[in-house]
Amino acid sequence: MLSRRGSNWLGLFQAMASSCEVHVGDADRAIAERVAALAAAEAQRIEAKFSRYRRGNIIDTINTAGGRPIVVDDETARLLDYATRLHELSDGMFDITSGVLRRAWRFDGSDRVPSAEAVAALLPIVGWDKVSWRAPELTLPPGMEIDLGGIGKEYAVDSAAALVRPVSTQCLLNFGGDLLALGPQYGGAPWRVGVESVSDAGAVARHIELTIGALATSGDSRRFLLKDGKRYCHVLDPRSGWPVVGAPRSVTVAAATCTEAGMLATLALLQGADAEAFLEAQGAQFWALR
Amino acid sequence: MQLKARRNAKLREIGTPLAAATCALLGQAAPASVQAQELMPWDVDTSMLVYSESDGRVQDLSLNLRARKEMREEKFLDLSLTLDSLTGASPNGAAPAGVVQTFTNPSGNAQYSIASGEQVLDPSFLDTRTAVAANWEMPVGRLSLLSVGASLSDEFDYTHLGLNANLARDFNNRNTTLSFGVALANDSIDPVGGSPVGLAPMLGLGNNSNKRGDESKDVTDFLIGLTQVLNRHTIVQFNYSLSQSDGYLTDPYKVLSVVDPVTGNPVAGPAGSGLFRYLYESRPDSRDKQSLFGLLKRDFNGDVLEASYRYMTDDWGVDSHTVELRYRFNFGAARYLQPHVRFYQQTAADFYKTVMFAGAPLPAYASADHRLGEFDGVTLGLKYGQQTTRGSEWSARIEYYTQSGNASPGSAVGSLANLDLYPDLNALIAQFSYKFGRR
Repeated sequence: MLSRRGSNWLGLFQAMASSCEVHVGDADRAIAERVAALAAAEAQRIEAKFSRYRRGNIIDTINTAGGRPIVVDDETARLLDYATRLHELSDGMFDITSGVLRRAWRFDGSDRVPSAEAVAALLPIVGWDKVSWRAPELTLPPGMEIDLGGIGKEYAVDSAAALVRPVSTQCLLNFGGDLLALGPQYGGAPWRVGVESVSDAGAVARHIELTIGALATSGDSRRFLLKDGKRYCHVLDPRSGWPVVGAPRSVTVAAATCTEAGMLATLALLQGADAEAFLEAQGAQFWALR
Repeated sequence: MQLKARRNAKLREIGTPLAAATCALLGQAAPASVQAQELMPWDVDTSMLVYSESDGRVQDLSLNLRARKEMREEKFLDLSLTLDSLTGASPNGAAPAGVVQTFTNPSGNAQYSIASGEQVLDPSFLDTRTAVAANWEMPVGRLSLLSVGASLSDEFDYTHLGLNANLARDFNNRNTTLSFGVALANDSIDPVGGSPVGLAPMLGLGNNSNKRGDESKDVTDFLIGLTQVLNRHTIVQFNYSLSQSDGYLTDPYKVLSVVDPVTGNPVAGPAGSGLFRYLYESRPDSRDKQSLFGLLKRDFNGDVLEASYRYMTDDWGVDSHTVELRYRFNFGAARYLQPHVRFYQQTAADFYKTVMFAGAPLPAYASADHRLGEFDGVTLGLKYGQQTTRGSEWSARIEYYTQSGNASPGSAVGSLANLDLYPDLNALIAQFSYKFGRR
């Protein structure tokens, strides 16, 4: 699991449907092993607990409650509070109940755009405002579902970073492109991060030097529909059920935490053509690819 | 108006409440900071070099631009462009004489005269050279690095086309690197006025009957190198290289004086030419060079010593030794001063002659090119470099080169004994470089 990468250690594992990397600059192998093990365990814990694909976890319990109230644990409550706040701050565009729209939309690169009726039929079971959430009790109307997939990976990076920090700060956690540097490499050198091109898979569009802090990327480079020359990006406006128009192909945002960077990137894409203006208004450091 | 209000509402400032909500989620009191910076897509090195020989000899102004980009992860493209502008006068190989000497220039349409006792310099030396090169570097597996490249250069009378490949592989916890390189070149030479027949006499104005057309040569180079990290402070490197040249290796603009074996005076040239007798030089059509190179690099509390030695030998009889020392004084991380000294010594090629004697049988090969003679060279230099706060770096280098050979060899009979048959060459080299980009 652990190998040498130049003068650093590199730990690799799979979690949350992504390739995850842990780069450690400390010369001691034991430290690198500890860091990689902590990060992998935390990523796998969060996946097990919050993946909507797993049976029996808290998300499955909520989604199959059939209208009954469910009492949730502290961590889930904090995530639901956070989702509530994002729903408010985005005027309803960020919505963890919007996952059911995927029954109509399959972003597989084809031209299968759903009918207006099929989309409209799902709207009654979309909308965080239809949900009753009063910590620690959540009640979803029957038929509705939640999905924390839009937060989970970034949250996992920050959670893992908090566990790793007492062991080493010479490390970079990269969970499928959402990443955080706890501190610079040995000798103060920044980490060099490649942002993938949207048009040429594998090609590096730009390099960013990250000394400390997080970078998160949202984009649709391989998840879209194309019909009659019109591109439908995978970012759906839950209020209409239709993709937002004119969003950049990819947005990378730098922030102190990976969750904040990821949410800024996601909220920016929801602004469609105004994505860059939105990020400028937030004073965010970002790189957009169109 | 309504539309504008809506846009502003959409773009409202949410950064602060978002950061606060994220802190609450993650249970962090105060957010850590972020420090991120985009790298420029290209690393760029630029330099300007002036090479100036004393006594109005060769002057070269050279501009170089090199750009390097990481195209894909750990895969680099390197491009370079060099422009050279050469002017001045160049020795044509003829010996000085106690009388005025007249020469037909290479084109055959003009002549120049050299005063008694003066070194013979052809004043018509003028050229511009454009060179481009591209190189691709990529890892092969976890431990090897492959680079392949092509180069092309063009001058008025010379075109070079080259291909090269190098494979380096790390062993022994990356403390040992073995590298193998091969380079192939094909050069075509189209001398002004044509390529002279070897050892044919220089003719009078307008007569190019001793000249032929284009020529070409092929050069193949092989290199095997070993780099070894000895400890945290010391690296050593050894290279063996073999270079094989085939084809036209003669300098079409160089001649030899034919002198009387007793008086040392020039003898009459072809009837009606009005010239003394000068024969165009002739070199073998193959040359094999081998060289051994050793380098030691050692760090002394942040300063760096670099010492190297090269031995070169070829089948023309030229053997050379080069010793080079550099010491880099680092003043903090941003500034350095680096003195440089280089000693060079070579033996003459078997067919090198300062002059040829009238009446003696013609040898197969002969050249009076001082670069094939026996000589010593010394270079003294100083370089200063500084990094700017934005991460770019500039440096300035100045060097002085002096070369001396045997001014009065055994062939200096009669009147030649009082003449300088190997004038010293002094040159000044000044270079300014500026690097910027991502480093």
